[in-house]
Amino acid sequence: MTPADRSTFDRLFAEVLSPAYGLALSLSKNATEAEDLVQEAALAAFKGFGTFQPGTNFKAWFYRILTHCHYYRYRRTKSRGEAVPLDEDLDLYLYRRTAEAGFHSQSEDPAAVLLDKLTSEQIRSAVASLPPEFQVAVALFFLEEASYEEIAEVLEIPLGTVRSRLHRGRKLLQKALWQVAQEYGLVGEGVAT
Amino acid sequence: MKPSRLSCEETFLRLDDYLDRRLDETERTEVELHLATCEVCAREYQFESRVIAEVKSKLGRVDVPAGLAERVAKRLAGA
Repeated sequence: MTPADRSTFDRLFAEVLSPAYGLALSLSKNATEAEDLVQEAALAAFKGFGTFQPGTNFKAWFYRILTHCHYYRYRRTKSRGEAVPLDEDLDLYLYRRTAEAGFHSQSEDPAAVLLDKLTSEQIRSAVASLPPEFQVAVALFFLEEASYEEIAEVLEIPLGTVRSRLHRGRKLLQKALWQVAQEYGLVGEGVAT
Repeated sequence: MKPSRLSCEETFLRLDDYLDRRLDETERTEVELHLATCEVCAREYQFESRVIAEVKSKLGRVDVPAGLAERVAKRLAGA
């Protein structure tokens, strides 16, 4: 790599480091794993910088590399993410759970009541528990407020696939959020606590 | 095109696309007309919308660990 290319890489990487770490944190079990993922992606991007087209979206390019590194690690460990039956009814999952738990009779804003009980770390762990094909789309949507088009660019998938992954992924996230709330004893079986 | 009246089920099928602002103007108006007149669907929409807003707000930006940029630079220097 020429000194000019190195300088360009350093500048572009510095601009994406913070959001990339946020994305990695939502895909990982903990901060150590997230940092490893960012380092791995940075190294891969550095080595492959010759394939980056100047003037195109470096952030999308780097996220694509980070996503590939994440998928690779996931395939290697296969430690997280349960297969979810496609026919499982997840429509309005949290709406129904919170109604059953009595949140709706306690507040005009039951969604906020539930989510106020959860910390950012607990919500991140719910995102990280999703099957990998949904994780990145969901993380980009919530963290970056990314558009369908931006998610499609990172994941290199058609817009229709982005739509279906996001819609299904958000439903899976609602189930994961409820499970996290139960694990931490923040909600009971039939009563809001 | 004149907006048509949607049933609750038809509205529900469009809810995610409505939340994501992916509907065209006619479809958007149809959903809004239904939500304005159906309390149950309006409550469901409000709930889904609040979940998205709350999760976005809670995830927000995170602080990069101190020294991460330096640790990455060190690793690249050895590459």
